[in-house]
Amino acid sequence: MKIEFWGQEFKANLAIGIPGAFLIAIMSSMFGFGGGPFMVPLMTVFMRLPMYVVVGSSLLAIFFNTLMGTARHYGFGNFDLIFFLIMFPAAILGGFIGPKIAKRISPIAVKRVAVAGLLILALSLLGVF
Amino acid sequence: MKQFLTFITILIVIVSFSTVGYAQKAAETKPAEQKSAEALSEGKIEIKVDKNQLSGGGKITITGKAPAGRDVYIEVWSEKTVRAARLDSDPDPRTGKRPYIFYMTDEMPGFYKLILPEKYKSVLEEEKAKGKKWSVSEIIKKSGADTVYGYPAKIKIDRYQTTLWASIIGSRGTKLEPMDEKENKRRSMQLLKARFRSIGAIFSSNLKIEENGSFKASVELPSNVAPGKYFVVAKVDKDIKSEPVVIENVVSFPNVYLPNAGRTVNIFWPFLLTLAITTFGVVMGAGGGFILNPVLVMLGLPHTVVAGSVMPTVLFSQATGIYNYSKIKFISWKLGITLGLAMAVGGFIGPKLTELITLEQYKFLFGWVLIILAALMFWQTTPKYLEKNKKEQAILKEFKKRAEEAAKKKSEGGK
Repeated sequence: MKIEFWGQEFKANLAIGIPGAFLIAIMSSMFGFGGGPFMVPLMTVFMRLPMYVVVGSSLLAIFFNTLMGTARHYGFGNFDLIFFLIMFPAAILGGFIGPKIAKRISPIAVKRVAVAGLLILALSLLGVF
Repeated sequence: MKQFLTFITILIVIVSFSTVGYAQKAAETKPAEQKSAEALSEGKIEIKVDKNQLSGGGKITITGKAPAGRDVYIEVWSEKTVRAARLDSDPDPRTGKRPYIFYMTDEMPGFYKLILPEKYKSVLEEEKAKGKKWSVSEIIKKSGADTVYGYPAKIKIDRYQTTLWASIIGSRGTKLEPMDEKENKRRSMQLLKARFRSIGAIFSSNLKIEENGSFKASVELPSNVAPGKYFVVAKVDKDIKSEPVVIENVVSFPNVYLPNAGRTVNIFWPFLLTLAITTFGVVMGAGGGFILNPVLVMLGLPHTVVAGSVMPTVLFSQATGIYNYSKIKFISWKLGITLGLAMAVGGFIGPKLTELITLEQYKFLFGWVLIILAALMFWQTTPKYLEKNKKEQAILKEFKKRAEEAAKKKSEGGK
């Protein structure tokens, strides 16, 4: 598929993009997160699109996933309103605070800390400790 | 500014809910202790508790008298109910076929305890030694509690014949006929395990019985249990039992009860946890749902409700992001919608799978997802990636600048 972005034309490989998006959506809606960290590599590496095309479009694609997933979880009775109302303002507030902190910290250092944190979390989920 | 107003509105709603929680404290109820008229005659059980009211959980001492020489058991359960679900996919020992039947109830008591006589302590220890393969029905059988296991055996359990295809299209499957009493009892034991997860959460063996039939036991209601009524019944068999004693548990601000999760939490810990993880997620540039989710599950909340409540948080958080990007024409609608439709189909299927898998499977799969994520993130800190990213960031800045200029020009042209 050809897409136009600010006067430039790009070729997007849908043969790999559509199945990839589908599988990422199953996994992320199953676990209750958006799927952004997987969609961005899918679109930049496998679909060979530059980051500036991907950043906004992936958010739109993920919106479809979270909207559908939310409706389905709600339909199955797995939504807790009070719990959501506790978390949601905190998430919005985090969205305000985050960018201010991001300006003062090295993004590479943060990502490395995140890698370590994710591995610790992963290993404890797998029952290693 | 719009975001800020939204935040204020949400905060007001939160305060309203907190007020409701606070109001519960004002309702001081003291139900009268019940005592049967012929308490001491043969075939009757007398029972007493040391307090009828608790605040945020606590310990209750239960004393009473039963016919001498008999084993006594005590059941304690909550009035408030929660959901319990389980997919039966173990191969049948005779046929080797996997049944794929999904059992579900919304009538599981939020708290349930069966207190056994002290002499059955070894039964609990034997089952604990089996690790994850422990069995509620084995404990009940070996401790002679089969005729006194009562309250959960009567809950209404739905069952569905599910298939791989049904899971793919996101349905629970074909609803089956209700079970008979015996089968319902057996399945309720399996759902007890699925819901409460550990032997200690369901059973204890601190019931002391004297030769003359006097007995004493204690039960601890954890601080995360639901507000409302709790019932205590002592039994010798299915016919000889005490009248229920009622205990009221009060929950007050800043603790709130989460009805679907079936837990009482201090309002601040999920708030601060979400705030910390979301902030870190923004700085990381990757969102925080995939960190928040497993942390909440490991803190004891049901994985189904965590997934179902975190996902709308993600949904509403990203809606503002989409709006902002679209204003500066930074979204390829063609690309976004094409992939979005594929993701919508996947999003239809995923939540069904959440219900079907056990907590252990959930943790296992999520563990591997996080390892993959860690690898992806590490790759994003490699020099080769950073160099390429630097170039694209420069182009991104250029486009953003152009977009803002174009938007400005357009708004000026409109005047």
